[in-house]
Amino acid sequence: MLMRRFVFVSLCILLTLGLFGCSSNTEEAAGADGKKKVTLRVAWWGGQPRHDYTSKIIELYEKEHPHVKIEAEFANWDDYWKKLAPMSAAGQLPDVIQMDMAYLSQYGKKGQLEDLTPYVKDGTINTESIDEKTIKGGKIGDQLYGFPLGVNVLSVITNDDLLKEAGVEIDDGSWTWTDFENLALEVEEKTGQYGSNGMHPPDVFFPYYLRTKGERFYKEDGTGLAYSDDKLFVDYFKRQVKLVDEKASPTPDESAQVKGMEDDFIVKGRTAATWNYSNQFAAFAQLTDAPLSLKLPPEQAKEKALFLRPSMLFSIPKSSEQKKEAAAFIDFFINNEKANALIKGERGVPVSSKIAATVKSQLSEEEKKIFEYVERATEYAGEAEPPEPIGSAEVIKLLKDTSDQILFKKITPEEGAAKFRKEADAILKRNQQ
Amino acid sequence: MEPVKDISGRAAPAPLPAGNRKKRAGQLVFHITTAGLAIILLYPVIWLIASSFKESASIFATSHSLIPDPLILSNYTEGWKGIAGQPFITFIKNSLIIVGLSTAGAVLSSAFIAYGFARIPFKGKAFWFSCMMVTMMLPHEVLMIPQYIIFAKLDWLNSFKPIVVPQFFGHAFFIFLMIQFIRTIPVELDEAAKIDGCSRLGIFFRIILPLIAPALATSAIFSFYWKWEELINPLLYLNKPELYPVSLALKLFLDTETASNWGAMFAMSVVSLVPVILVFFVFQKSIVQGISMSGLK
Amino acid sequence: MAGYAFISPFIIGFLCFTVIPMGASLFLSFTSYDLFTPPKWVGFDNYKAMLTDDEKYWGSLKVTFYYVLAGVPLRLAFALFIAVILNRAEKGVGIYRTLFYLPSIIGGSVAVAIMWRNVFGNDGVINGLLFFLGFDKKIFWYQDPTSALWTLILLSVWQFGSSMLIFLAGLKNIPPMYQEAASVDGANRFQRFFLITLPLLSPIIFFNLVMQTISAFMTFTPAYIISKGEGGPLDGTLLYSLYLFQRAFNFFQMGYASAMAWVMLILIGLVTFILFKTSSLWVHYESKEG
Repeated sequence: MLMRRFVFVSLCILLTLGLFGCSSNTEEAAGADGKKKVTLRVAWWGGQPRHDYTSKIIELYEKEHPHVKIEAEFANWDDYWKKLAPMSAAGQLPDVIQMDMAYLSQYGKKGQLEDLTPYVKDGTINTESIDEKTIKGGKIGDQLYGFPLGVNVLSVITNDDLLKEAGVEIDDGSWTWTDFENLALEVEEKTGQYGSNGMHPPDVFFPYYLRTKGERFYKEDGTGLAYSDDKLFVDYFKRQVKLVDEKASPTPDESAQVKGMEDDFIVKGRTAATWNYSNQFAAFAQLTDAPLSLKLPPEQAKEKALFLRPSMLFSIPKSSEQKKEAAAFIDFFINNEKANALIKGERGVPVSSKIAATVKSQLSEEEKKIFEYVERATEYAGEAEPPEPIGSAEVIKLLKDTSDQILFKKITPEEGAAKFRKEADAILKRNQQ
Repeated sequence: MEPVKDISGRAAPAPLPAGNRKKRAGQLVFHITTAGLAIILLYPVIWLIASSFKESASIFATSHSLIPDPLILSNYTEGWKGIAGQPFITFIKNSLIIVGLSTAGAVLSSAFIAYGFARIPFKGKAFWFSCMMVTMMLPHEVLMIPQYIIFAKLDWLNSFKPIVVPQFFGHAFFIFLMIQFIRTIPVELDEAAKIDGCSRLGIFFRIILPLIAPALATSAIFSFYWKWEELINPLLYLNKPELYPVSLALKLFLDTETASNWGAMFAMSVVSLVPVILVFFVFQKSIVQGISMSGLK
Repeated sequence: MAGYAFISPFIIGFLCFTVIPMGASLFLSFTSYDLFTPPKWVGFDNYKAMLTDDEKYWGSLKVTFYYVLAGVPLRLAFALFIAVILNRAEKGVGIYRTLFYLPSIIGGSVAVAIMWRNVFGNDGVINGLLFFLGFDKKIFWYQDPTSALWTLILLSVWQFGSSMLIFLAGLKNIPPMYQEAASVDGANRFQRFFLITLPLLSPIIFFNLVMQTISAFMTFTPAYIISKGEGGPLDGTLLYSLYLFQRAFNFFQMGYASAMAWVMLILIGLVTFILFKTSSLWVHYESKEG
């Protein structure tokens, strides 16, 4: 009887060992153009249109580089990051990964991403028509952890019909926060609709507010919050509370109920102004007949509060075994005209000025507006925000929670300011070790 | 065997000798209340189906009305075309493979294992039984990463293997269910078979297995539906879209930054419901009738 | 021994696919692990921080307990009620069973979340129904943490199909002769139900109770998709598993999340143990379990 148990246990061990021993081997035959065959895994997040056209670009690339076979891996935003984390832990990241500024620090500083500087220096990634400032967006210190694919700028998108109905005009070169507040109240009074969408999410727009006052959100070294005067926090949130109270802004649960772009306030004609990144203009414009336009946010000129932000980047993991080929693909994506004719700025305004000019002529009226807006904003733009420090995910959640508590009247803006500071500093300090 | 008497004790009329009219009235009441309740409960599902015939952009704007206007079929045709070159039928095929293999593996292995626990005395049984129960109480999120690394080392990534293979090693819920069932079968049957010269294995295949058929069917239904819906394992272990099952593919229609294709997603959700509903409808009567014969005590 | 031969698949699978990850997760719970750099040993720090320094942790525990205590009995009661109604040989009862099972088949897909949020929207159908029934105030379901949690509870009650199925099986199992004998003795419908049906059904009720409680504690997907991963409003829908997930994958704190998982495991184990121990008070077995 014990014998049988023994046999089974040994079988089990043998089985497991056998499985461990198995591994697939990679073939290395020469491709049609004489170069060694290579398989690249390319991963991105997005919606259906993006999946469709990016697959076409991949086909294009494979045709022009017959020795390269590309395996596409794509998912929506949520699922993408859920997949990436385990892949990273197991050293199984794809060769080209689409990266976002929110995660760049996490993946970059923890040694998952390769420094792309050598590939820029040796010309694999051609940066002739690309502005240094833009490339810097993907840098942490001296390391270029991701190459920006496109550029976004903060904007206030307005429904011009509602503005007209309310009898207000915006001079976006010079309007102030007070002007903005009054505008929102006017719109509510005259039209019954919201004047502002509530400036979601707070972790994007509160830092912008700080910039207009000459302050910053995070300290350069990421050890704590930069702004020291809590009055800034209080003023910002007092204004939000006032707008919600006067029904000039939606309540947090109303905002949470928005299921997607077609449900958004600006699309349904329920708000005169919405705060978003410039690239979202295209989708909004497509979904509504009302005339929309992009305006510079308030008080951006004095302190150069605006900045060009990489909309997304391509990174190469340190674990990749074909980094040079991966870099070549990135170059194709950024600089190839045919590829960009398919992209049409969907990933942000192209970083290459040459490509941007070519693509612009192929765009619809609405899409052109984005390009023109970004061009205009570039003139005013200041230094970009450095990539977020480690622990920023927690800080962002904390800010959002605090904002909700304030708007739901559970705590006052003053209490929120103190609480936020204390907990945010604790989080950032904890993540320094 | 039909239960002539109604043993529910609640909403049904007792069959009175003089009550043909009363019986029919009672039946009417039953149908009206049940159907009414069903409609209320199913309103969200009806909404889903109705929305699949509406234009994407207007689904939420017209969410009050259950009547699509205009009624379009393009969500179905568009959704069927699939995403990024993969026709939707590929996703359905993948789902069927994953679910079919998993269900077969889970049900058979669980029965096998349940027999061992239920019928064979051996040292350490209580220990292993508790281990088995414990596996049901583990939050999955935390096993995820170590499991992923194990599968990565086995080179099973980007294939169905991590999703299907573990199913062949038993599933605690089914094992427990079947143990309860086997316990209701009188041991005398086993003894009789043993006297006739049957081995343990023989008893398993010829006596036990047929008698717990309803438990097998119930497990099959549960396994089918759980696996059909499963998102997290396909998400982690399948990178190539051509391997995606339906549950995962549906999410590809949605995106937070651009206009999501709600219409196609709803349409394909409806389509993906059909196999599961069919499986249930086909099996439900035999299960309920059959389970009652051997009894779950 | 033959016993081991039969349960060997379980043992193999258990060792390979469960024990090793379980051991790893136990180890990780004593470390600080961000998935990218090797784990750093921190001893009991995670557990300490969790229990003494984390408001959200206790919040999520409270929310989860509320969810379980409110949801499980409701769900079981509803499932039993419907099972009783559908326990007859009427024509078309199979169709009704399928229809009532339908909600649970739809399960945790994104479509469900969209649909549910829509139904409970400020201008949604539920409010419309309440209005129709005479309530004059609209409930802003997603403005208040408790009412938002109730939308989750109601979602779980709505998906009672699997419990219903098992109850149906159990009901069929009760020999009609008991009911007949009782009605000959003059017992009315209600007496028959409470004095005969329920006790004979108690083992099944117990099975469902244990299973549903365990799975209710581990609920993740509905909370995730309905609150869009946030657990809002104001952490009203932040179930334990959701918070665990946030810690693991949003904040990259795998060690802390592992500690949370082990505490949940112990908790569920305790609750199950209590359920088993108190079962002898109310569960009635016709024959000795053998």
